[in-house]
Amino acid sequence: MQPLAARNRIALLGLSVGLVLADSSVVTLALPKILVQFDVEVSTLAWALISFNLALALAAVPAAALARRRPVGVFGVSTVVFAAASLACAFSPTFGVLVGLRAVQGVAGAAVVVAALDLLSEATEADASAARIWALAGIVGASVGPAIGGILTQLFGWESIFVLQAPVALIALLALRGVQARPVPEPAERPQIAANAALLLVSGALVAALFLLVILLINGWRLEPLAAGLVVTIMPLAAIAATRVAGGITPLWTRAASGAILIAGGLAALGWLPHAGVVWTILPQVAIGAGLGLALSALTQRALAGRSGQAVHGGWTIAARHTGIVLGLLLLTPIFTADLNRNEDNALRAGTAAVLDSRISPLDKIGVARDVLVAVDRATADGRIPDVRAVVDHRSDSAYADLGNALQDQLDRAVTNAFSHSFLVSALLGLLALVPIVLGRKEVGV
Amino acid sequence: MRAIAYSVAAMLVLVGLYLALGGASYAPAKVADPCVKRSWRGPQGFEAVAEQIVLSALDGAACQLHVSREDMVLALADSGRREQFIREHDISNARLESLVRNGLKRSIGDAQNAGALNATVAGVLRGVVGNLPIDELLDLLQRLRGL
Repeated sequence: MQPLAARNRIALLGLSVGLVLADSSVVTLALPKILVQFDVEVSTLAWALISFNLALALAAVPAAALARRRPVGVFGVSTVVFAAASLACAFSPTFGVLVGLRAVQGVAGAAVVVAALDLLSEATEADASAARIWALAGIVGASVGPAIGGILTQLFGWESIFVLQAPVALIALLALRGVQARPVPEPAERPQIAANAALLLVSGALVAALFLLVILLINGWRLEPLAAGLVVTIMPLAAIAATRVAGGITPLWTRAASGAILIAGGLAALGWLPHAGVVWTILPQVAIGAGLGLALSALTQRALAGRSGQAVHGGWTIAARHTGIVLGLLLLTPIFTADLNRNEDNALRAGTAAVLDSRISPLDKIGVARDVLVAVDRATADGRIPDVRAVVDHRSDSAYADLGNALQDQLDRAVTNAFSHSFLVSALLGLLALVPIVLGRKEVGV
Repeated sequence: MRAIAYSVAAMLVLVGLYLALGGASYAPAKVADPCVKRSWRGPQGFEAVAEQIVLSALDGAACQLHVSREDMVLALADSGRREQFIREHDISNARLESLVRNGLKRSIGDAQNAGALNATVAGVLRGVVGNLPIDELLDLLQRLRGL
C-alpha cells in the first residue's frame, strides 16, 4: 500500500480531531428541534450535550494510556465506533437512546482524539508541531460546531448532523495508510496541573458562548438556525485569526492570560447587552473568539510542553476541557432556568402595564390583555417565545402598532435579561482561570 | 505583558461602552407602586372614565394585597390564573372579589366627586358593581366595545 504524504496525513488527522471536538457543541442549534421531537423538559434536554462531554472527559486519560501503546489500532477501531454511533444517533427512537449513543460517541471520540495526537507526532516528526496542529484543530472544531450544526439543522434536519459525521469520520481512516507508529516505551510524567486547571475553567466559561448564545439567538430572538449559525461563525473566524498572531505573544502564560481576559470581557459584555439584536453580539463574539484562540492554544501547548508521552497529556487536556464543559452546563443550566422563570413573570407584568398604559380604546384593553395571555400560554406549552406583536398586528391603527412595539420591547428585555446572570457567571469563570495561569507561569520555560 | 495590557484595555472599553449604553438596566420595565395615589386625569368620554375607575379600583385592591396593579389584572384575566393567585396569596375568592368591588365603589365616588359622572350614572354603576359577579362584569365591559 502506497504510504500517504505527511501533509495529507496531518490534514486527515486534524480533520478527525476537529470533527470529534465539534461534536461537543454541534447539536446546540438542533436542541429546539430535538426538544419538540422527543417531548422532553429543557433541563433533561441538556443531557444530549452533557452525556457526550462527560463520556469524553472520563474516557480521555484511559484511552490515552491505551493509545500510546497502540495508536494505529486505537485510532482505527475508535473511528469506526465513533462513525457507527454517529449514524445510530440519527435514528434514535427515544431521547434516552440518543443520550446513550452520545455517550458512546464520547468514549470513542476521546480515543480518536488522543490517538490522533500520537499519530500527528509521527507525521510531523516533532512533538511541538504536533501539539500546535492538534490544539488548532480542536479550537476550530469546537468553535465552528454550533454554526455547522445550525446550517445542517435548517437545511436537512437535526439528524443530518449525525448522518454526515459518519462518512467524514471514516474518510479520516485514510490517514492510517502505511503508518508504522512505534509504541512509546517511557512512562508518562505527571500532568501539568496549572495548565489543565486553567483549561477546565476557560472551557467552563466558554459554555455560555458556545451553547447559551445560540439558544438566545434562536429561542430568545427567534432567528432561524441557519441565520444563527452564520452569526456565530464570527467566533471561529476570530479564533483562527488570533491563532495566526498567537506565536508572537510570548511567554506562553501571557498569551493564555490575554485570552482568558478577552473571553471574560466578551462574556461580561454579553451579560450587559444594551439592547436585543445580533449587532450587539458582534464585538463580544470577536473578543471571545480571539480569547479562545489565544487561551486554548497556549494552555494546550503548556500542558504538553516538556512532557513525554504526548497522548497521555493530550488526554489530560481533553479531560480538563470537557470536565469544564460539563461543570459549566451543570452550573449554568439552573441559573438560566430560574432567571427565565423570573423574567417570564416580570415580562407579563410589564406587558400588562404596556397594555393598560397604551392609547388603544380603553374597552379594547381587556380583550387585548386576554389575547396576549392566550398567546403566552400557547407559546409556553410549546416551549417557545410568544409572538406578541402578532396579537395586535392585524389592526391598522397606529395606537396598536405602538402597543405591539411596546410589548415586543418588554419581551426582548425579559428574554435578553434572562441570560444576563449566566453570561456574567461565565465571565467570572474566565477570570478565575487567571489564578492557575499566573500561579503556573514558571512550571515550563516556554 | 504588553498583550495582557492591550487585552485589559480593550475589554474595559467594550464593557464600559455597553454599561454606558444601559446594559445593566436592560430589563423588563418596573411596574408602578399601587399604593402611590395616581392623579385623576380628567378623562373625556364614558370609555375613558370607565377605564380610570377600573384602574383606580385595581390600584386600591392591589395595595391592600401588597401586589402590583398588573398582578391584579392577570389574576382576573382567567379562572386558572385567579386560582393560582388565590393560592399564592392565601386569600379566598370572595375576599378577592370584595376587594375589587369595594375599590370600584370607591373610585366611582371619586369620579362623581371630580364631576366626571353625574349622580344618576354613578348610582346605576354602583348597583351594577354591587350585584354582578366580577367575571360577568368584565365580560360586560368587553361587550360594550362592540356597541
